[in-house]
Amino acid sequence: MKKKTFAFLLSLIMLVGALVGCSSESGSEETDSGSEDEVVKLRMMAYNAESTRTTYLKMLDEKLPNIDIEFEFVALDNFNNVLNAQLQAGEGPDIIEVGGEAKLLAKANYLLDLSDKDFTSKYADAGLKPYSIDGGIYATPLQSWFEGIFYNKKIFEENGVEVPKTWDELIAISKKLDENGVKPQIMGAQSWEPMMKQSIGLVNNEFYADEANSEFDNKFNEGEAKLAEAWLPAVEEWSKIIDEGILTDDMLGLSYDQALDQFATGKAAMWESGPWAVPTILEKNPDIELGMFPIPGKEEGPGWLIGGPGSALAINANSEYIDEALKVLEVTATEEAQLALVEDNAGSSFLKGVEVDLGEIYTDSEEAFKAGNVYAPWTAVWTSGNPIVQAYGKSLQEVLAGAKTVEEALQDADETNDNLRNTLN
Amino acid sequence: MYNKNRQRVFMLMILPTFIGFFILYIVPTAMSFFYSLTNWSVYNADLQFVGLDNFKMLFEDSKTLAGIKNTIIYALITLVVQNAIAIVLAVFLDKKTKSANFVKSLVFLPAVLSILVVGFLFQYIMTSADYGLLNNIVQFFGGDPVNWLGNKDIALYSVIATQVWQWSGWLMVIYIANLKSIDTALYEAAEIDGASKMSKFFKITLPLLYPAASFNILLSLINGMKVFDVILAMTQGGPGYATETIMTTLIREGFNSGRNAYASALGVVFFVAVFILSRIVIAFLNKWERKIS
Repeated sequence: MKKKTFAFLLSLIMLVGALVGCSSESGSEETDSGSEDEVVKLRMMAYNAESTRTTYLKMLDEKLPNIDIEFEFVALDNFNNVLNAQLQAGEGPDIIEVGGEAKLLAKANYLLDLSDKDFTSKYADAGLKPYSIDGGIYATPLQSWFEGIFYNKKIFEENGVEVPKTWDELIAISKKLDENGVKPQIMGAQSWEPMMKQSIGLVNNEFYADEANSEFDNKFNEGEAKLAEAWLPAVEEWSKIIDEGILTDDMLGLSYDQALDQFATGKAAMWESGPWAVPTILEKNPDIELGMFPIPGKEEGPGWLIGGPGSALAINANSEYIDEALKVLEVTATEEAQLALVEDNAGSSFLKGVEVDLGEIYTDSEEAFKAGNVYAPWTAVWTSGNPIVQAYGKSLQEVLAGAKTVEEALQDADETNDNLRNTLN
Repeated sequence: MYNKNRQRVFMLMILPTFIGFFILYIVPTAMSFFYSLTNWSVYNADLQFVGLDNFKMLFEDSKTLAGIKNTIIYALITLVVQNAIAIVLAVFLDKKTKSANFVKSLVFLPAVLSILVVGFLFQYIMTSADYGLLNNIVQFFGGDPVNWLGNKDIALYSVIATQVWQWSGWLMVIYIANLKSIDTALYEAAEIDGASKMSKFFKITLPLLYPAASFNILLSLINGMKVFDVILAMTQGGPGYATETIMTTLIREGFNSGRNAYASALGVVFFVAVFILSRIVIAFLNKWERKIS
């Protein structure tokens, strides 16, 4: 019995000692940082991994010696959960990487209005639009993302086909490739994303290219305009690719990775995706001759890519260190910072006057970039874009399976929009 | 007196766990009942009562209803097939020979793997890509390739097949343990009476497997109702909504769309569905128990 009591006491003492040790350590740290030019610790929460920001973070370190940025990576699957829980508890990060949810967060008064800051005006309007609501601007964009159609240059050459300039040409060359025994286009349609994006590529060409429709997205947010009316002709044009048997229902059993595999190993001539896939493709097949062309429209033109501001940095309106956080955004709005960002993750910059050379793969898309033909309505303007395009993409899977029409798929997206407007207001 | 003291000590000992259980399970469950009647969402600044609106929306949404339907199909089929296979395997493998032991461990082996690993593995086996293993086997025997995970009429059953494969061995082990406890005198008596192998199985073995069966049936039912991970790994609920379940719908609506109140309502529906189904199964099990006692 005595032994047990002794052991118990001993462990208790050890526990207390450990606790005291901890607190005294952290205590001394605080006083240390207090005496040294007041280094402020800023928390930056992000859903893009630290490896995609290495150069940029290093640059911030050099430029802002009294700000110590603590980079917190939370995978996108959980990002909104973690962020929202922290914001609700009043313990959110100082700087937040935001995407599609920025408007909702701004509406709920979590984000600082940046519209009167000097650095905000250095960005092109296209980059700020997704983060603007009710006259306020709540985040400044990082580099853009875009997606087009990758093609295997060697296969194109061997079969004597050219990069298509119209949607009909794309179908024609697909048929020619098919006749020659080459699978024209592979698609990981088990995911709802690729069909959704490719069809919106045609909507970009046929609908958004027309200035008259520039107000559509705002009306859609208010529930005054419907996809099933406005988008229908464009999406029906896209669905020719299903009617002609180029996209087939067996692709519903292919995942993104499996489709990438088939394209990289030369089993298919075309595949829809974006720059983030390039390292994996080259890893699987270093000899592949890769190109990317934008999604063509009915008429000949530069074509359109899907994309927009990938994500942006916003400041927590309740942060203790708002001035320091503003300094970080100010430094981000310089050419040097933008080039540092692009170095780790290819894309174009929204900062006025900064030009980025994307490289050989994207020469076929140059004209589209020059014309500014990069757009993704659901991240750019829609209030709750992701759930809507998810509903649309899932219904397109049913279209490919032959169970639904294109019009019904668009109606599903409209219905989701109505539901969300009614529940989130 | 001593006994009462002992009881008090035991109560104290379960207290820490109970507090955790209360705070982390009972309170949140009660809260989601409450939230299901509100417009709660991280994106809504103020909380308002909306009555049964969430439930009304839920039963009008064909996607959510598809999820509920798929879950019930999934749970019932896995329950019946897994248990049937497990009982047959248990009866045939309840021997002490080396080969029986070998087959037993072979059948049990998949249960050691993580569900996610099995899911991703079968995604490659069942893929419609040219290298899909299952389709290559089908074609070798002269059949036409099947789109196992991409055909909306087949996908759910493909997922069920993998889970039956993975868990039948696990249930078998529980049945074997039960078989060992059946009195051999019963079989000897039956033998003397000249009973056939079939009637021995149906008249003695099956009824006396009640203890293991009641455990296994409830376990399969509850695991089936809350299926999530294997769907995520194999089909992500697709194509379309063909393999969405209650749990995948709940995650999609609650976390991706930010409709937390709606997801809470679905959670309540899930709770009620599990409660009713398990009541029915327990009633059936009680009837069985009365029969053998």
